[in-house]
Amino acid sequence: MDLAYYPGCSLYQSAKLYNHQTNLVFERLGLHLQELDDWSCCGATSAGKINDFMAIALPARNLGIAEATNLPELVIPCAACYSRTKVAQKQLQDNPLLQNEINLELSRQTFGNIKVSSILEVLWREINGERFESIPLTKIEGLKAACYYGCMYTRFPYDVEVADNVENPQAMETVLKAIGVPTLDWNHKTLCCGASSVVYNTEAALDLMAKIMKDALARGANCLVVTCPMCQMNMESQQEKYCRKHGIKERMPVYFITELLGLAFGISREEIHPGGNLPPNGLEWSKMCGDSV
Amino acid sequence: MSTEEFQYSHLSAQVFTSEIMARSGQDITSCYQCKRCAAGCPVAEQTDMVTPNRLIRMVILGDIEQALTNQLTWKCLFCHTCGTRCPNNIKTGRVADTLKKMALDAGLDPQNPEYKNFHKAFFNHSLRWGKINEIGMMGEYELRNIWDTMKKRKVRKIISHMKARSQFAWEMFRQKRLHLSFHSSKGRDEISRLYKKSAGRKWI
Ligand code: SF4
Ligand code: SF4
Repeated sequence: MDLAYYPGCSLYQSAKLYNHQTNLVFERLGLHLQELDDWSCCGATSAGKINDFMAIALPARNLGIAEATNLPELVIPCAACYSRTKVAQKQLQDNPLLQNEINLELSRQTFGNIKVSSILEVLWREINGERFESIPLTKIEGLKAACYYGCMYTRFPYDVEVADNVENPQAMETVLKAIGVPTLDWNHKTLCCGASSVVYNTEAALDLMAKIMKDALARGANCLVVTCPMCQMNMESQQEKYCRKHGIKERMPVYFITELLGLAFGISREEIHPGGNLPPNGLEWSKMCGDSV
Repeated sequence: MSTEEFQYSHLSAQVFTSEIMARSGQDITSCYQCKRCAAGCPVAEQTDMVTPNRLIRMVILGDIEQALTNQLTWKCLFCHTCGTRCPNNIKTGRVADTLKKMALDAGLDPQNPEYKNFHKAFFNHSLRWGKINEIGMMGEYELRNIWDTMKKRKVRKIISHMKARSQFAWEMFRQKRLHLSFHSSKGRDEISRLYKKSAGRKWI
């Protein structure tokens, strides 16, 4: 099956790895990702801070391109792009005049004829499908995962349909259970990590990250699993800083869910995470991945 | 912080409240101060006791100066915890966002000019190239910060800031997160036509 695919800017830059892994994992699931032709930036949170019109017009252009493919579904792995695009689609639907006005400038227009899905909505559905059943699973040993969703998967700035429980989402837990990775219940799975404020309000953002880390540790987790590139970047790249600031001794890897799925599907460590280091908490890959590595 | 004591005026409270409601799309008059929003707000500890419910009250009372300059307005992370928990579906994050836009429109210097510089750099970069190139975007952000600091003649601050920034960049490079490739989108014409259309619109 073919799906329209919007990677977004961060999957071409700081989260290149996520793009690579998503493509590999979807291929194994028999889903071909058709990247939108000449897609442009969705404006992320920044557009809406400056210009409300452009905050809708930027994703509208991508929606138009996606609809022109005639595919039924558009998958967006980045949580920010997903939120922006989904919200813009609903705002256009609620405001036909605005939709018309924006469409006048677009070579490929949008009429709301495509379903916008996060990566989790697709994975959640696929683990119940035949294709998933037929994939031999490699056991991943030694992990206790705290699934960290962040803000943008269940909370939106506009009233849209939410795909999961707002306060206690379950999609990642369900997917990880299907590949045999144990998960745990914890408090801060949807607490904000500070997102881009790490750049301009660093200390406050570090305090939030430390809160998340402490709760995960207190529950006995040894890794975080995420789907948002901003959460992944903050929780991993700032880990030394926020842990030192708050006297936390332990460190843990922050995996994109695609990394664990890839390993479970028998993709080698080097292929799913080229040049990846050993997990910082000292778990050995050979122990974790059974005989697939 | 407020320099003069706040004087309530019915008319200005009404005008201010209506403008905020129209721009943010939030029915703030239905707030009954239950404080569910306050309990969940992740920055509430760092905002000088300005919790989301208090921000709503400030607006309704027409305390314009406080509403535009308080810590919550500028520190709000737009995480929407307040909105999903509010029994009246008031998304205070959008109220804070609206207040920031109003303050910037009015030329008020925010407490944290880096906030404004970051989002301006990001937005301009996405308009100019159609896609974000993190190095270019962050470069524009730094230039804007330096310009702001220079205007205030704080050379030391620039130096310490640059040091911290180059460490940040080096860290990102070391973790293979900075890439030198350049991306753009051919749809830039469409984007700039849309941008022209947006001129002068205060809300949609
Ligand atoms: S949760 Fe809603 S009704 Fe309650 S205090 Fe906050 S804004 Fe007001
Ligand atoms: S959106 Fe802003 S005001 Fe609301 S809970 Fe989040 S940080 Fe607090």
